[in-house]
Amino acid sequence: MYKENNADKKNRFLSALHNFYNRITRGFKGFINRFKDSSTPTKISHIIMGYGNIARRQIIKGLLFFLIEVSFLLIMIFSPEINSTPIGGKAIINFFTLGTEEGNIFTPTDNSMLMLLFGILTFGIIAMFYAVYITNIKSSYKADLDIRKGGHASTFKEDIASLLDERFHVAMLTPAIIGIVIFTLLPTIFMIFIAFTNFDSLHPAGQVLFDWVGLKNFTDIFSGQGEISVRFLPVLGWTLLWAFFATFTNYIGGILLALLINKKGVKYKKFWRTIFIITIALPQFISLLTMRKLLSEYGPINSFLVNSGIINSPIEFLANANNAWVARFTIITINIWIGIPFTMLMTSGILMNIPKDLYEAAQLDGATKKQAFFHITVPYILFITTPYLITSFIGNITNFNVIYLLTGGAPTVSGYIAGETDLLVTWLYKLTIDQSDYNIGSVVGILTFIITATATLLTYRRSKSYREEDAFQ
Amino acid sequence: MKKLFLLTALMFSIMIAAVGCGSSSPLTIWVGSESVDFYTNKMTEYVENYNATHEKEFPFEVAVKAVDTGTAASTFLDDSDAGADIFTVAHDNLGKLIAGSSSIAPVTDTALLAQIEADNPQTFLNVIKGTVDGTEYTFGVPYIAQSLILYYNKAYITPEQVQTWEGIWEAARNNNKQALSLTGTDGFNNSFLLLATQYDNHYTSLELYKDGIQENCFATGDDTIAKLKWGQRFFTDEFGAKAPTESGWEVELTDEISLSVIGGAWHFTAANAALGENLGIAPLPTFTLTEADAYGQAAAGTVYKSGTFADTKMFVMKKNSDKADYLQDILLFLSSKEVQEESFIAAQNLPAYKNASVEFDAFKEDTLEAKLATAQVDMFEWGIPQPFGYNSKFNTYYYSKGAPDLILDILENKDGEFSTDQAIYDQMLIVESLWKTGLRPE
Amino acid sequence: MITTIKNKGAKPIKYKSVKASNRISLILSYTALTILAIIWMYPILWIILNAFRTEYNSSNQLIGIVVSHYFPKAVGLDNFKYLFTQTLFPRWFLNTLFVSSITFVLSTMLTLSVAYVMSKLKFKLRKTFLNIAIILGLFPGFMSMIAIYYILKALNLTQTLFALILVYSAGAGLGFYVAKGFFDIIPNSLIESSRLDGATNSQIFTKIVLPLSKPIIIYTALLAFIGPWMDFIFARVILGETNTHLHTVAVGLYYMMYGEYIDSNVFTTFAAGCVVVAIPIVTLFLLMQKYYIEGVTAGAVKG
Repeated sequence: MYKENNADKKNRFLSALHNFYNRITRGFKGFINRFKDSSTPTKISHIIMGYGNIARRQIIKGLLFFLIEVSFLLIMIFSPEINSTPIGGKAIINFFTLGTEEGNIFTPTDNSMLMLLFGILTFGIIAMFYAVYITNIKSSYKADLDIRKGGHASTFKEDIASLLDERFHVAMLTPAIIGIVIFTLLPTIFMIFIAFTNFDSLHPAGQVLFDWVGLKNFTDIFSGQGEISVRFLPVLGWTLLWAFFATFTNYIGGILLALLINKKGVKYKKFWRTIFIITIALPQFISLLTMRKLLSEYGPINSFLVNSGIINSPIEFLANANNAWVARFTIITINIWIGIPFTMLMTSGILMNIPKDLYEAAQLDGATKKQAFFHITVPYILFITTPYLITSFIGNITNFNVIYLLTGGAPTVSGYIAGETDLLVTWLYKLTIDQSDYNIGSVVGILTFIITATATLLTYRRSKSYREEDAFQ
Repeated sequence: MKKLFLLTALMFSIMIAAVGCGSSSPLTIWVGSESVDFYTNKMTEYVENYNATHEKEFPFEVAVKAVDTGTAASTFLDDSDAGADIFTVAHDNLGKLIAGSSSIAPVTDTALLAQIEADNPQTFLNVIKGTVDGTEYTFGVPYIAQSLILYYNKAYITPEQVQTWEGIWEAARNNNKQALSLTGTDGFNNSFLLLATQYDNHYTSLELYKDGIQENCFATGDDTIAKLKWGQRFFTDEFGAKAPTESGWEVELTDEISLSVIGGAWHFTAANAALGENLGIAPLPTFTLTEADAYGQAAAGTVYKSGTFADTKMFVMKKNSDKADYLQDILLFLSSKEVQEESFIAAQNLPAYKNASVEFDAFKEDTLEAKLATAQVDMFEWGIPQPFGYNSKFNTYYYSKGAPDLILDILENKDGEFSTDQAIYDQMLIVESLWKTGLRPE
Repeated sequence: MITTIKNKGAKPIKYKSVKASNRISLILSYTALTILAIIWMYPILWIILNAFRTEYNSSNQLIGIVVSHYFPKAVGLDNFKYLFTQTLFPRWFLNTLFVSSITFVLSTMLTLSVAYVMSKLKFKLRKTFLNIAIILGLFPGFMSMIAIYYILKALNLTQTLFALILVYSAGAGLGFYVAKGFFDIIPNSLIESSRLDGATNSQIFTKIVLPLSKPIIIYTALLAFIGPWMDFIFARVILGETNTHLHTVAVGLYYMMYGEYIDSNVFTTFAAGCVVVAIPIVTLFLLMQKYYIEGVTAGAVKG
């Protein structure tokens, strides 16, 4: 493989920059050219949306575009208030000031959080309006081209038909995209911005104003005092350790179990598999809370151990203040109970689908059962499930349920919110929901994202090239 | 395919219609879960009286919901618009609630203010007021008083033994049990040593935000160190106090692993279920310093009485509620001494009314509930109200910066690091610094 | 008796010792499987036993706490009675049923639409969308909860079940990987030939691809239906902790054991609730076992 040297890398970077610049200028040039080339109605559409469409008797389409323009302008100019906070033109100003009215005992304070949120929503509305605006121009222009070619501007019926055919992807994706933008994209952007403010438990929204603090929350990480700087590296370390062991044990265990069940001569395969499937089917909060109670100091397991004389006093399996590693070990063990059935199922499915001709060919070549196993079955499974291994590792980094329900992050570290068994995500949850320290929570969330994104990028690259090889001989 | 689209469209329109037709919201009241039934009845009674005495009917539906009073403040602050119009908090939450421009409304009705002044002891009157923007207002309407008392297993501990920790300790030793279970590791339930005062003269050197001033914290007096030394002996002894476990104190009491627990009125039902007819209730015991515990001015033989936080739970009102005109009259009714007495009978809520133990007959009965009340009233003499209402930071600095864990470390002599007086003293310096600033000393 | 069987060019196999060693290994396998089965079933059996445990103490109150003996000393249906009459459990059950029934329809439609488009249709920005979907998926889910709560509040939807339905369904568009993997397997030649026959894209989707995709439809619908029964994080924030009449079973049961006020005495009631909740879900899972395995395998192979 040709290894790039530094000069090549620099060239690649420069050419990417160059491409980007070209694309933008091309976009501008295209816009201006299209404007020059379009008919008068289309030129008017640049200001009064929908005019071009109506001029060509695309009434419904034109009216729709016009209505959208009117509503957008109304919102931006008049800034209607939702929950006493404006959205629209005023929201943009509020986004930068985050509220000025301090209020007193009888009047309300500006709600800085809502101002941030509505500011982002307004930017989102502007972006969406821009998209509709361009669509408006494009549709009018397309009608221009159609007429020039001697045809007619498409009727409403024809538009619908094309939505079901050439532009089927638009029809299918739009509902999903709307949902994702409103409920995933915008909230995530909001939370990212929170990380640059001082919105925490001392600044409840609507009661006390909060403000932009820039990178202060991030530089505090290196300050040596305070929740994040002291606890971040330990929590990160444990998160990675946990993800590694959890994935590894479940992976190996699941494969072994699947092989065991799938062994020739073992009867009632379905029965054995069902027993383990029940564990997956049971909601995690039930099985994990049960495990927690089962392992409590005066529960059945400890009582059995004490009464039969194996130990003198109950073992504190979880939330053990004296030794965090006991708790960590217990969690990993219980996670095996939770996770092996899943891997086992998947491996079983694969095992059942291994092409038989591979085995026949091996037999013809004179291989024994053992050789067939180690040289066909095992590599086949490993090859197929490697992508799963990677996604499972990344998924375990953000495995919330197991930790939160089993120990709640305990044993606690005095004075800090993150406990000894807290993962980044459980820490984030505690900061945001329990403590209302939203800004620090956001910082943790962003750091988690950076870590998982890096892991994904690294492994995705390798797995892609891995998959493209036809190396399975 | 078409049918599916139509179906979805229909569902969406139903959804939107259902959402759109919201009736005017009811007047919501949050009380502790043990009192929900009682206050629901009381509000029905109130509405009936209102309708009988006014021309127009009471215009709102009333909804009484159970919300744990310890977290009601945070729940309210998460979304104050959707919060209750009237809710209950312990008074130490006042600071959080009135920070900035306040999220609760001040009491302005003269009749209600008069009733509050007349009915409540001075210690409560001090903590229900707060300052916003330079002016002092009354925010809370006290209706419940509470302090911590001892629940214990009568079958093993005699009434004489229960008066001193040494007695309970001896009972535990004789029966191979442990003397005390802790309900948790927080700084509220485990304050009995820290807040203990000298039995003969109520003396203690401990200062906790005295007069509401952040710097007035002192945790390294001789008697404090001596008390902690005693506590360390108690906690490290195999028959003494035990740290909280995952199983919980109810299991420990039922299985007779330990013999007593310090708790409040809200633990009554659980304690009753755990111990059944063996349940005994008593004020917190005393303890005596021995030679091993003496330190500086605190001599051997000094008797201390365990301390507690003696708090009030109060009603507060949402700021700028659309039902504001009606709230204060409701509070006049709900916090009246008659309703307080009924509340005591129905839900074991100790009345905040200052003459309750003298005037209320229910206190004089021979029931466990009456014992619960009188024990709490006794403890009021030995406790202080939580001094955290002055400033929203105090509550955080005292509870959430690790000070309780550090004290528990001393008591359990974690890793054997606190066997010397100096070690205990140094740790308490850290505790003091956390109380004052939220940070450890440099 | 030792017989040697000759395989073409293979080493001669000693027949009898193979049989014997086979039997030993089989016995070992069965033993291992039994031990593992017992270990796996131990907690589940415990919770079922606790649901039926009805021991009383000297004051004739039900001992609901976690006791140290595994097998109950007395059994009965008291916990179920308490669950259905004294708690809001029936309401929670209906709430969850309502939410999941609507959610799974919406979620499945959204997920399958996106998966099909990503798999089979070519359009500009396809790669961009894929990348954005991956990136958005990497952010921890509950980071955005507080924002979602306030967006819902602006729409006047908070503390209603409809809000929950919206939240569960809206994000469904991002979880399309497994379904996409399945659609990838459907040969493109099939689609090409239909197009040559004059079918539009929507017709290809509805009349040709969907009928072939029963396993993945059932798999997606199954997961979407089960989701609301298991989630206690989002539901808790959106419904509000005080609205106990709106809670789903997951939130209600969770609060029973780990709410702000832990009443340890309701553990047996909690166990009864778990049993009632587990029965429909486990049954669904077992019935759909086949589709589930196919779905998981498809996802793993292509994922």
